Amino acid sequence: MNDGKTAWRNIRIFASLVLIGAVMAPIFLSDASWPVTARDYLMAQGQAESGAVNLVSAIYLGYRAFDTLGETIVLLIAVTGTLSLLARVESLVSPGPEDTSSPNAKGFSLSLEKRVSHALRTNLLEEVTGKVGPIVLLFGFYVMLYGHLSPGGGFQGGVIIASGIVFLALGNPYEDKSVLVRPAILGGMENIAFLLFILSAMSGVFLGEGFFGNPLAVSGTPEGFIILMNCIIGMKVGSSLAFMCIVMMGGANHD
Amino acid sequence: MTILLLTLIILLAVFALFSSDLLHGVVAMSAISLSCAILFYILEAPDVAITEAAVGAGVSTVIFVWALRHSQRKDDRHE
Amino acid sequence: MIERILLLVLFMIGFWAIMAHRNIIKKIFGLNIINASVVILFILEGSRIGNEVPIMYGGIGLTADPIPQALMLTAIVIGVCVTALSLALAVHLYRTSGSFDIDVIKRRIQDEA
Repeated sequence: MNDGKTAWRNIRIFASLVLIGAVMAPIFLSDASWPVTARDYLMAQGQAESGAVNLVSAIYLGYRAFDTLGETIVLLIAVTGTLSLLARVESLVSPGPEDTSSPNAKGFSLSLEKRVSHALRTNLLEEVTGKVGPIVLLFGFYVMLYGHLSPGGGFQGGVIIASGIVFLALGNPYEDKSVLVRPAILGGMENIAFLLFILSAMSGVFLGEGFFGNPLAVSGTPEGFIILMNCIIGMKVGSSLAFMCIVMMGGANHD
Repeated sequence: MTILLLTLIILLAVFALFSSDLLHGVVAMSAISLSCAILFYILEAPDVAITEAAVGAGVSTVIFVWALRHSQRKDDRHE
Repeated sequence: MIERILLLVLFMIGFWAIMAHRNIIKKIFGLNIINASVVILFILEGSRIGNEVPIMYGGIGLTADPIPQALMLTAIVIGVCVTALSLALAVHLYRTSGSFDIDVIKRRIQDEA
């Protein structure tokens, strides 16, 4: 009887795979030529209209800035939803005796005194991440600030900054941790960055360029706006992802 | 070169789905992200390559390892 | 052409993982694989019309199409947000029912109802 159910299930799975293959095959295998009008226009006018040498930055901060606004809203919703779900997982809310339920949890805790030592375990992770953390933060700031001249920009620099903050949270167990590691400060940074994003988008309205327009477009340096928006987006994305990772690792209980 | 990298990605995906230890699958997903980043660099898209490398091999692996830490590492009924 | 057939195979592998596996973590692996295959498809198609990086230094030829690259930046970040939320839901399900297996979870919900 169980074999009958398994065979029927396999037939259903095979049939749906064939159907999905028939739907997606024309999309993946079509031979139509890719249109070149957009690329020609952007090569001719992109740098003059937005001031950025990097055409991808000009697109997601100038021509299609609404996509960036939507993406920051999705990040905000995801972090809020994840944290509200995490608040109900018991081993995060009250660490201690509950931790014995998962046997591999004892080796993972962030604070050094709660960790059960294994004979082969060394301090390599904490030493390396404590020393390398500030260098990764510096690299993240470099990628963020040069986004309009070379590959990089707000998203890329923001994710590298998030990795740098996670390094700082993992390293230096015996000294005072940096102030960037506290979840309260990261949450505050995210809110301030979102507010600044909306304010700088509205600044174009007062100078005649429209919502998300470049207020410096007629002055001599139109790329100042691109640099400012890159910094704001980098701060938002970096603090969001670092907040999520640090609360998941259990860092919120040590305040 | 792109065909070689795509074949590598397919093999890593099959390995990730058929492993009975979920941590091996997580490491295979991280390797898929790294191969995607190299592929994007070859296809003249350096911005997307930086984003994929930082997000896939960094943040995504951290949250997968967190999920496994709070639950189990073995796949009970291996299929 | 061969690359696009390989991408279709990758998409099918990811879709089969979502449908046929019983472990929730394997289904989330499938979501990530589908995301990766669609992003590679867009970047591949955009790179056919030129062979330079879309950064306007002086004296370069035709660049690749910058619009799919800008769209895929947003798609990758949204993909990691979806993964984070779904993993939080999976851990919550594990805490309430003790297993990642969807048959066990279904049976426990039916027993409690």
